[in-house]
Amino acid sequence: MRQVLNSEMELLVASDFIYLPLLLDPEIEKETQTLLQPEKQLEKLKNPVSNTIIKHDDKYFVKAFRIPSFLDNYQAINPYSYKRLRNDCLKKYQLEREVDDILLSETLRTILFQIMPYFIKKNKGLKRNKFNDEHILDLVHEKVEIPARYFEAAKTFQNLGPLKEILKDLEDQKPVFKLPENGLYSGQQLRDWLYQAVQAKVLASEHHRIAEALQVREQFNLAKPEHIATLLYIADSGALEVDGFGFTLSNAYYKGEYLIYKRTGDYILKDYYARSYLFPDCRVAVSTCTPFRPFVMEKYKHPFLLAHKAGQEICMKNFAPSNELTAQNVIRMLEEGLTAMHYGYDGRKRNGYHSLDKMWVHIPTIDFEDYRI
Amino acid sequence: MTDTETKKALLIDEAEKLLPLVIEIMPGHAAEGLVDIYEPGSYEAKSLRKLCQRTLNKKNLTIEEQLIAEDVDRQLDGGKLLCRGQEIDGTALEFAISEQTEAGEKYFYVPIRAIKPQEGGDD
Repeated sequence: MRQVLNSEMELLVASDFIYLPLLLDPEIEKETQTLLQPEKQLEKLKNPVSNTIIKHDDKYFVKAFRIPSFLDNYQAINPYSYKRLRNDCLKKYQLEREVDDILLSETLRTILFQIMPYFIKKNKGLKRNKFNDEHILDLVHEKVEIPARYFEAAKTFQNLGPLKEILKDLEDQKPVFKLPENGLYSGQQLRDWLYQAVQAKVLASEHHRIAEALQVREQFNLAKPEHIATLLYIADSGALEVDGFGFTLSNAYYKGEYLIYKRTGDYILKDYYARSYLFPDCRVAVSTCTPFRPFVMEKYKHPFLLAHKAGQEICMKNFAPSNELTAQNVIRMLEEGLTAMHYGYDGRKRNGYHSLDKMWVHIPTIDFEDYRI
Repeated sequence: MTDTETKKALLIDEAEKLLPLVIEIMPGHAAEGLVDIYEPGSYEAKSLRKLCQRTLNKKNLTIEEQLIAEDVDRQLDGGKLLCRGQEIDGTALEFAISEQTEAGEKYFYVPIRAIKPQEGGDD
């Protein structure tokens, strides 16, 4: 079927059916003559659906398939092509579920507008001005290079006209596509029609989503295009980092959850003998889903980390993790983790799982000699 | 320059100049803190701790500054003031680094963090 629709072959459309050109050999010719006998023609008139072979411009065409059935079953006939067409169509109108969901995500709004402002430098001078959500988006736009395509996408996002039109047509119950009229078509012409019809059906099946998307977009309609571009960029990439503070969508297992982190930068700890050890940068993170405990994202070693691997919780004293995800709690947890890493180790007490200087005991421990400066 | 870096960035020729001093007291690991400016001649003889105390006792704060001051107070409840990982014993010039505004005016800058300790090691 794909080959037929990709070819330049002439196909005939008659009464919602597609007819393929009939190849003639003596056997087929004989059959054709039988089918086209006068009594058979009479039967044909009574029941036009049974037209197996029809003649058009001295050429014979054989009935192949019914267009509406082909369209209804296209998802099963060619799942790959259907998926591609569906995605293209949703993308064209930015109807992917993630965009609207992420723009409306309360968690993301908390991170962007309540947690991030605490950790990033907002003011250029010495004054401490009031910052609202728009200022934060301006700042992100200034500090993060947003690819040009998101500005184009922002224009589409804010143009509500096409979506409103589709929704109106759906609500007026207008047919979502028109079947091709009877006549000859090239395979490619029919393929183009088919693709449009599939996409029209996809939009019809997304009626509710279009209505929801319109509601979301009306909320953002007065926003600056660069703010929309910034939000679309965040929705698409699922991550952002500004001034060492960042967040990233957690893996698929925790869909819609984020890891919020702050980089430590390089820092120095001292051992029992006041010798310095330079620790490399790492990201201290808190997840937006429980357990709300600070951990180090990278493979890392530190006196407060049990092993030398990624994703280890920081061992802390008198730390009661909160069960509620609020901006204040996340800030507090990140700060406790960062403070522990930066200032928590006391060389004289050798607190933590490991000592920076070698203790010469027979217990396997982490070695920090390579960090000595 | 990192917080714990002990190297003093003060240049000798600038130490001899009379420059204003800017102290910023940041709560925990926040990016911004309470800022106070001292004119040349008003800070040299005083300890950094005393200057910080004066900054923290300021009354005419804006709402934004009040919020920062509250965060600093929270950290100082059992916490301490640190400059690049060290306690602030000494004069401001011992901790100052030279910076300049966008307009090119030079000043000494001392970043201070109010840190509530987290000793770790005992889960």
